[in-house]
Amino acid sequence: MSDQTDVLQGTLDLLIMRTIALEPMHGWAIAQRIQQISDDQLRVQQGSLYPALHRLEHQGWIAAEWGASDNNRRARFYSLTRAGRKQLATEVSKWERLSAGVNLVLQRT
Amino acid sequence: MRMFSLLRARLVSLIFRNRQEADLDEELRYHVDRETERLVAAGVDSHTARQQARRSFGSVEGFKEQAREARGTGFLDHLGRDTRHAARRLMRDWRFTTAAVLILGLGIGVNAALFSLVNAVLLRENSVADRERIVDIYQNAPGGGAGGNTYPTYLDMAAYTDVFASSTAAFMPRGVTYREGSAVRQGMAEHVSAAYLQVLGLRPAVGRWFSEAEDARNAPPVAVVGYRAWTTRFASDPGIVGRILRIDGVPVTIVGVGPAGHAATLNLGVHADFWLPIGALPVFLGSDRVFDRRLNEPAFFVKARLQPGVSVARAQAAMSTLGARLAREFPKEDLGAGISVYPSSDVRIHPQMDVIVTAIATALLAIVGLVLAIACSNLATLLLVRGAGRLKEVSVRLAVGATRAQLVRHLLTESVMLALAGGAAGCVLASWTMRWVSSLDLPVAVEVGVDWRVVAFAFALSFVTGVVFGLAPALQSTRIELWQTLRGDGDVRPTGRRWLTLKNALVVFQVAVSVFLLTGTGMSLQMVAAARAVQVGFAVDDVAMLETDLRYAANAADTPRLRAEVLSRVAAIPGVQAAVLTRGFPMEGNGMGIVIEGVAGTGGQIAGASNVWAGPGFFETMRIPILYGRALDERDRAGAPRAAVISEAMARRHFGDVNAVGRRFRSELGQDDWMQVVGVARNTATADLDDEVLNPQRDVFYRPIDQWGVAPNVVVARTTLGSATLVRAMQNELRRVDEALPVLTAKTMRQFLDDSLVVPRGGAMFFAALGALGLCLAGIGLYAVIAFAVSRRAREIGIRMALGADSRHVVRAVAGEVAVLVGVGTAVGLSASLVGILVLRVTGATTSNGVASLSLYQPAIDPVAMVIIAAFAAAVGLVAAYVPARRAARMDPLGALRHD
Repeated sequence: MSDQTDVLQGTLDLLIMRTIALEPMHGWAIAQRIQQISDDQLRVQQGSLYPALHRLEHQGWIAAEWGASDNNRRARFYSLTRAGRKQLATEVSKWERLSAGVNLVLQRT
Repeated sequence: MRMFSLLRARLVSLIFRNRQEADLDEELRYHVDRETERLVAAGVDSHTARQQARRSFGSVEGFKEQAREARGTGFLDHLGRDTRHAARRLMRDWRFTTAAVLILGLGIGVNAALFSLVNAVLLRENSVADRERIVDIYQNAPGGGAGGNTYPTYLDMAAYTDVFASSTAAFMPRGVTYREGSAVRQGMAEHVSAAYLQVLGLRPAVGRWFSEAEDARNAPPVAVVGYRAWTTRFASDPGIVGRILRIDGVPVTIVGVGPAGHAATLNLGVHADFWLPIGALPVFLGSDRVFDRRLNEPAFFVKARLQPGVSVARAQAAMSTLGARLAREFPKEDLGAGISVYPSSDVRIHPQMDVIVTAIATALLAIVGLVLAIACSNLATLLLVRGAGRLKEVSVRLAVGATRAQLVRHLLTESVMLALAGGAAGCVLASWTMRWVSSLDLPVAVEVGVDWRVVAFAFALSFVTGVVFGLAPALQSTRIELWQTLRGDGDVRPTGRRWLTLKNALVVFQVAVSVFLLTGTGMSLQMVAAARAVQVGFAVDDVAMLETDLRYAANAADTPRLRAEVLSRVAAIPGVQAAVLTRGFPMEGNGMGIVIEGVAGTGGQIAGASNVWAGPGFFETMRIPILYGRALDERDRAGAPRAAVISEAMARRHFGDVNAVGRRFRSELGQDDWMQVVGVARNTATADLDDEVLNPQRDVFYRPIDQWGVAPNVVVARTTLGSATLVRAMQNELRRVDEALPVLTAKTMRQFLDDSLVVPRGGAMFFAALGALGLCLAGIGLYAVIAFAVSRRAREIGIRMALGADSRHVVRAVAGEVAVLVGVGTAVGLSASLVGILVLRVTGATTSNGVASLSLYQPAIDPVAMVIIAAFAAAVGLVAAYVPARRAARMDPLGALRHD
């Protein structure tokens, strides 16, 4: 477990939006997906997902809807709104620039 | 669009908060269940799985909180929760809470009580229809500024009908008596002209108002009862119309009830009990000279309603023209100072009075504001001490993740709640005080209830108090080095002595302000003492007097017989040596303009002197020695040449010689009413001792009432058998003359003089009460600070005592701390009052005209009073320090080391 990295402050939003860009998902599934996709390299404190989800919803970037989950229970599904897609694109490019920059610094020093 | 959706989301989240809470719960529960299922599927047993799922989720409540905040409804939620928490904490600390609420309640209560007085006098509005169309018109006073109007000038003003749609004159409010059943009571009456209600745009509540015919002199007297008097004194009985009431002994027919919500001409919170027609003035005053155009009869207020489209400026222009014309036509009666027009909404009482009243009200509010400042700083002290005592709680909460902002918010909520509770207590206190004030049988009906303005004032005060005086303690008590507190030391601050702490500053401030207020007591008492020390120059201890109104007698027409009978019966009381019938209380002078014969040309120069009514036996009764000539006696009856006795001072000033017997002077009013000086009397003080300090040795002249057709209303007598007995005997004799004769006043001369000191006495009580209250509060603050310091240094004290320090040392250390705080506070307070006294002396010296002499008399620096005040402060300090010092001294060293 100790070789996992805590999700960087602020990048959680990015990860969430990227994850639900493909299809609407509920909170638990988002957490699972982030963990799977990152090959268990990233650890999301599962609870911390929810404040982030509610914040994004409040900002109008994602929308929530109650629906039936795959095990037939009521779950809250989140999907990306149109504004959210735009925001995701900006965030992704911002992240790429940032990580490229950091990489450069790391390589040259 | 985004704006709207945000707004909508916020509204929805507010309205459907419960729904959302349930949703949030369900969402999080689903997550944990799902995680548990996953773990069970992976082979973990269900109990462990659930635990693990919970653990990997983290703090459910914490995330819920964050989620709520993310949705933006945090603030209201917080407020609700903080309030509940704060309430719970305050309940738990009920002793602290009670103390704080009481302290603030006192502070705010005193302020609210005074504010309700100011409110009644300065803020409450008379009801009037479209106020902005009404103007107040004043003939200017000789010195400039608004004065009063004479009746003929009013008629001249009223003639400008192109400017004024209607206009009215109101005579100065007058104290009257009236008989209700068998009792004669006191009230206030206003004589107004028929157009009064028309100008104000009001209608009588019951019956009718006055007719034009009743403006004419000597019309049969009728009266309208004031609305408030009608409800409070006549039980709102509509049958009052048509009844005959005796007002000042004169039978008057009641024709109506005044409009509700309209107190009187003057917006002073004083309600007119009766409205009387202008035309009835001569009946009540016994003379119709108020209707003449004379220099010193400007006794009318004039109000007018502007014609449509006429501006205040145009009205002013018209009145300026009139003013110039009057100055030309009546050079003797009109000083040519002009006429001023004010919009009624700019005037409360009278343009000149408003300034003074506002200044007094402001000064009083400032003084009681000091008490509030003490109470507030006290609350701050208590909060600081309490905050310091809760360091550990605060540290634990910081450690488990509360932010400092959250803690400050909690503490602030607490202090605001405390302050609001204090405000509520203050309102209750103020309304009690006001109920007490209204229960006093005051001769005027002042409406001093607690209304919404007072409540709003109290709550605004308490809210500001809570925030301002809660903030510093909240900030200070959350500024903590966590590791230090949690390590378990009782003491987290550097142990070195720091004097300049917020707590100490607050205590010093409280002591200083209290001491300052107490010096005010000293000053007022000084004034009382100075007044009592005045050599009055007339008999005091054996003299008694009785005021009545002969017009109430069953057979009022037969007054000469009545007078003779009253006087002879009083004179026959055993022990009575001399008695006199007169008008007004002896030595209560009325200022008048006089003209000395042969001085400064034909017209003579107008000088000021004080008129005292007298009669045969006056000087003997009052034991005022006659230096030259003779006293007034039986020879000075109606029809005989007019005689007067003047004071030594007047003789010297106006006749150039003490022996002025034979010289003549007249009142500035009567053209040919020359009075011959028949005697010169030794100087006396006037009855108004308070005024006497300001204005000693006034020029006085005594006139016999019989020669001026003045009706007597006072019997004065001197006895050898004690004046208190005489007062009772005189009342009995009066009743024997006629049961219907009222006893309006019955006093010994001593009581009468003492009563004239009511203002400085009241001032002394006011300051003493506030100062003592302040010092008590300061004592509580001091106690809190010292007690806390002792408990904080318990370990240090314990170690010292374990190492052999004497308990006396410990006590000395505590006492030293108190002494420094009290000493500094007292010094600051005394210095401030010294500065105050010097300022008063300087300003008092430069503005000693009539109006500004309201700024009291010249205060002196009184070292004895200062020592007493300092001793009082020291005593309070001693009491405050006693308990903590004793606790420190009795501290068991081992227990102290284990402390905390």
